[in-house]
Amino acid sequence: MLLGVENRIVYTAVEVLAGECRLDQALVKDKRQPNLALLPAAQNRTKEAVTPDQMKKLVAALAQSYDYVLIDSPAGIEMGFQNAIAPAKEAIIITTPEISAVRDADRVVGLLEANDVRRMHLIVNRLRPAMVEKDMMMSVKDVQEILSIPLLGVVPDDEKVIISTNRGEPLVLAQEGSSLAGIALNNIVRRLEGERVPLLDLNIPDDLLSRVRRFLKGSRS
Amino acid sequence: MNSDSLVTDLTLTMPQTPATPQAQVRFKGEEGRLLLLLPSETESGSALTWIEVWQQLKQRLNSGERFWQPQTPVHLIARDRLLDGRQLQDIADALSNAELQLKRVYTSRRQTAVAAVTAGLSVEQHSLLTHLNQTENGQALAEPLYIQTTLRSGIEIRHPGTVIVLGDTNPGSSIIANGDVLVWGALRGLVQAGAAGNASCMIMALRMEPTQIRIADFVARAPESPPNQYHPEVAHVSGGGIRITRAIDFAKNQLTNDLV
Repeated sequence: MLLGVENRIVYTAVEVLAGECRLDQALVKDKRQPNLALLPAAQNRTKEAVTPDQMKKLVAALAQSYDYVLIDSPAGIEMGFQNAIAPAKEAIIITTPEISAVRDADRVVGLLEANDVRRMHLIVNRLRPAMVEKDMMMSVKDVQEILSIPLLGVVPDDEKVIISTNRGEPLVLAQEGSSLAGIALNNIVRRLEGERVPLLDLNIPDDLLSRVRRFLKGSRS
Repeated sequence: MNSDSLVTDLTLTMPQTPATPQAQVRFKGEEGRLLLLLPSETESGSALTWIEVWQQLKQRLNSGERFWQPQTPVHLIARDRLLDGRQLQDIADALSNAELQLKRVYTSRRQTAVAAVTAGLSVEQHSLLTHLNQTENGQALAEPLYIQTTLRSGIEIRHPGTVIVLGDTNPGSSIIANGDVLVWGALRGLVQAGAAGNASCMIMALRMEPTQIRIADFVARAPESPPNQYHPEVAHVSGGGIRITRAIDFAKNQLTNDLV
């Protein structure tokens, strides 16, 4: 849906596993990026239709022809999550800076450790620097303090994300440098590839008020 | 000297839930070998599923592997837990990943014994009422449980002795110990010391910011507004409630008390 390929789905992973079609028939290639393909999971059937062992086979087959196999885990820690982590070699934990979300992420990190997925990275999503500044939102440091896994990137809250998902046009493929969130996502990919990219400076331009506030906060501690 | 940085709340009625020895997966050293004790299927009230047992095993393996010599023999005490060949194989694989060797299986279930023999392990089968259950009569605390890990949300540690954590305990985690609880890190979850009723037990942490702490029958929760800075602190029962004292002062007090 987010890639705008929903109307081109014919087969899903469940049909591949049942032997009703070949793997390459189920893959939906992106029209803009020839190297990007999507293997849809079944929407109509329950997640119990697939077992962890089948997931391992499926991903092993995909890994032969693709550099990265991204498995989108469903929310929660039920069967769908067990399926998603069964073939995983490393994990990217994405959380918003809210207490309940971080609590869930913490549980997920614990379960991943128990399942021998040791390489984990953290992405903090939908951060609002202005709110962090006023002490109304958890900072990236607060999140890291709890989760204690290496940070891969911070994506600021951005209206353009909603617009692009509604249109089915990925943000990162829009005009280069048009949105802060898009740049943040691009940087995350570059870091995954091993490049050292500094974190974006998300701070809003200094006004007098915030400078005074920071000064007061500094003198208090 | 005593800073009452926690709100003691005695109106809460607290369920008495001592950590029984059979409640969780546990490792125990004995004469150069390790015993891996699985919780009983019938005795501990709430029977754990295989998935839960498996996760506890992995967690204990991950948080203590520094202490084991490579190729230490492990004896699996399965009690009345039913294990199939595949589960036994999973346990053996997990142990061998930590460079431990599963050597022998003790069980009171015939099917488990058959599965273990099929998997090529040596087996000892005996009826339920053997020396393994004698621990129930004794009042002695179990040897301390030392874990080096971050205790994350959803993890519950129950131990019939003292628990030492090298790492943080996060909100949503809980430790229930019959002895003391020492956290070399930040204590952010729920911790209960002296769960079997011993009010002289203590809770110590480098950074005390708990969801709730309990010692024997006493319950305390963190104050609404967090303090400006944190010191290593000790929680103990005195004067009918839980008190929090800075670790440095606590040591001094204890010393003077001993002299009087």
